[in-house]
Amino acid sequence: MIADPLSQLVMLGSSGMLLTALIVLWRKGIPAYVTAYRWQSWLLAAITATVGYYGHDPQLYWVAAVLLALKGIAIPALLATMQRRFGAEREATPYVNTETSLAIAGALVLFAYVIARPWMTITTLPTRQGLPLALALLFVSLLIVVSRKKAMTQVIGFLMLENAIALLAAVGTYGVPLLVEFGVFLDALMGFLVMQIFVYHIHETFDTIDVEELTRLRH
Amino acid sequence: MPSGNLGLVVMVLGYGAGAGLSLLAPSDRAARVLTAIGAAIGCIGGLIAASSVLVTRVPVDATFGSLVSAAGGVAIHLDPLGAFFLLLVALVGLPAAVYGVTYTSEYEGRHSLRLFGLMFNGFLLGMSLVPCAANIFTFLFAWELMAITSYFLVMTESQYAETRYAGLWYAVMTHFGFLVLLPMFLIMAPGSGATAFADLRTHAALMSGSAKSVVFLLAMVAFGSKAGLVPLHVWLPRAHPAAPSHVSALMSGVMIKLGVYGVLRVVVDFLGAGPAWWGGLVLAAGSISALSGVLYALTENDLKRLLAYSSVENVGVIFLGIGAGLVLQSYGLHTLALVGFGAALLHTLNHAFFKALLFLATGNVLHEAHTRNMERMGGLIKGMPQTAALFLIGSAAAAALPPLNGFASEWMVFQALLSGVQIPQPDVAIGAPLAIGVLALTSGLAAACFVKAFGISFLAMPRSEEAARARESHWSSRAVMGVLAAGCVGLGLAAPRIFDGLFRIAGSLFAAGSSASPPAVGRLWLAAPNGVAQVSPLLIAVAAALAIGVPVALLRWRGLQWRRADTWGCGRIQQTARMEYTSSAFAEPLRRVFSELYRPTEDLTINVHPDSRYFIRSITYTSAVVPWIERAFYDPVARGMRACATQVRRLQGGSVHLYLLYLSGALMAALVAAWWFR
Repeated sequence: MIADPLSQLVMLGSSGMLLTALIVLWRKGIPAYVTAYRWQSWLLAAITATVGYYGHDPQLYWVAAVLLALKGIAIPALLATMQRRFGAEREATPYVNTETSLAIAGALVLFAYVIARPWMTITTLPTRQGLPLALALLFVSLLIVVSRKKAMTQVIGFLMLENAIALLAAVGTYGVPLLVEFGVFLDALMGFLVMQIFVYHIHETFDTIDVEELTRLRH
Repeated sequence: MPSGNLGLVVMVLGYGAGAGLSLLAPSDRAARVLTAIGAAIGCIGGLIAASSVLVTRVPVDATFGSLVSAAGGVAIHLDPLGAFFLLLVALVGLPAAVYGVTYTSEYEGRHSLRLFGLMFNGFLLGMSLVPCAANIFTFLFAWELMAITSYFLVMTESQYAETRYAGLWYAVMTHFGFLVLLPMFLIMAPGSGATAFADLRTHAALMSGSAKSVVFLLAMVAFGSKAGLVPLHVWLPRAHPAAPSHVSALMSGVMIKLGVYGVLRVVVDFLGAGPAWWGGLVLAAGSISALSGVLYALTENDLKRLLAYSSVENVGVIFLGIGAGLVLQSYGLHTLALVGFGAALLHTLNHAFFKALLFLATGNVLHEAHTRNMERMGGLIKGMPQTAALFLIGSAAAAALPPLNGFASEWMVFQALLSGVQIPQPDVAIGAPLAIGVLALTSGLAAACFVKAFGISFLAMPRSEEAARARESHWSSRAVMGVLAAGCVGLGLAAPRIFDGLFRIAGSLFAAGSSASPPAVGRLWLAAPNGVAQVSPLLIAVAAALAIGVPVALLRWRGLQWRRADTWGCGRIQQTARMEYTSSAFAEPLRRVFSELYRPTEDLTINVHPDSRYFIRSITYTSAVVPWIERAFYDPVARGMRACATQVRRLQGGSVHLYLLYLSGALMAALVAAWWFR
């Protein structure tokens, strides 16, 4: 059915990215989350490079390189540092348990396919098969952010959300200009740094990185 | 460069220099002086520009299209109506600026006079630009500049909770007005690119009657809240007392008049008057403002609040003139309508003079007596005779006594209203006499109010140590007040000439206006065409001078001498300040007559001796007027807002996850909506 290699590669990469997000819902240890994020970022870089290769857009190689450096290496390294500090705190009792989370994730993927259908019919890009998967990744990342209690998990959920947006941009527009991509990078980096500080402060104040404790701040 | 343009350049540069230099001033004293110098140069520039337009009748135009081009650029068009209001700013701004030099000296070290200078000059610049604006952006920019800078000026003495409260009211009301201005301009603008006032004027001619009426109502709310029409006046009696006195003079004398300008510009100039009910509504608003303004002024013990309420009253009188003009115009009585608009303009000018004079005189009183409460004043005439005399002139003008200026304009408003009786329509035949009755009652009550303001504050014996020690203020402040007082007298005596000019300005608002000739009754007489009466302030002045001067001269000639002696002491051995008529006591009869309106709360506590109830130790009596008009309008609004806020607050669960869920839910809902309505 899908003949050209670009479609197949994009589909494969996007599915892999979605799978790494599902790992977060299923595993409970934070080291596994960091690894999942690292894999996801590498897949994102690979997809960007693939689009650049088939689309004859050398700019995208640069984008892929920066993605790899920042999201594939730098942020996972920072996450690993944080994990060494707070890693002992496992995501023991999330708001939604693992089985239900996976069921909801399945429903969200279906929802993403429904939502993306009108979009799929009007676009003729060879990468369009990745669109519903990117949307699904976005929804699953939101699910992670909403349903998990530890600040570390939420930071990773946010980073995956950012990856989902980057993927959506890459497959939806056939490669984003370097300038736009840089803007998004900086946003994500700043967001990450701010959140990192927050996590440290939450830990300092409450002796845990359980975000539920923040409810106590309301008078 | 024509003198009009030159004047505008000098004006902007003057205010700009005043704002910038006072900010950079090396000392507080330098800041005070630089503030005044900049403002004075700016005012002189405004004076040149305005008078050149008024004399030559050639409008000044200037456009700076590249300045904020996205919003349509800055466009200036100064026509006679705008020039009149620019003149008003300059005429009151100049004395206020000079007065401020000594008045603000007491702020040294306590408040930043540099920021004060910036705001003061910005305020004057904003007020000067409003009547010059020729497109929506320029107008709104100037309007907002005026609003924000005046907010900061009101907040000068922000250490008092009362001031902060007043500032909050002011900020809310002024931005409410701004919020209403936007849809008004939106409806009037023909398209996205055409925001010049000329476009609005041509488009207004093509608008449907109902759209015009919506614009009219929005204009009345937006500009009425600036002018202080009841029930949108609530900020006025709070903000005016809180501001420094020379700022109060500017706010009361000029700023609220720009609301009048807005109504004239939009309703008369753009919309070209309209159906009779517009005039009826304006008359009703004017009547309610005039009457309730003066009634609240009467019971007020705070001298500046009294003056602020009196401003509400006078704005009501101005709107009575405008309303009469609108009604007459709708029945095709063009010349008579111009009498109404001209009378409104005349009262605008006159009120600016006497209210500025009164506020500046009150500033002197405040400086000496250290209180705004009239119950703590009294006997000030002995310490500060010149201020007292100037305050008396202002009071007499405010009470509309001939030959002073307040009389001339109120008389012309009467003439305009009386002309309405000629219209053979039942609603007008009922409405016009009602408005006349209200105006007559207002004038009478205003006289009582200013008898109280002057008598309680300045006459009899001092009620406090500070009042007893009061001394005359710096000569410069008395000099500028003298100029304003001379203006009150001069404007009164020259009223027929000035009214001629204002009649022409009102006529310039109509395309057919050039054909209407002013009521040519000579330079001596004030009268409406076909009017039933005419009066000459100049002859009244001469007659009054003769009536007093001739007997005095005769008595002196007969050899009578001045004699100084005690007044009759009612047989009492000792007179103390506690035996005097107080401010509350003075207003008590009226408080009883209008008790339905005031709904006074009274609290009488008698403390008797424990052994016999016939030995009274103390009696405490407190009485307060309930401002129920305010409550009736604003309490439901405040309650509704609070209820909404309480409901919205439920969203705030305190859990980060809940907020994230809201975000996700909103995203999903947006996507589903996009999918559903594709």
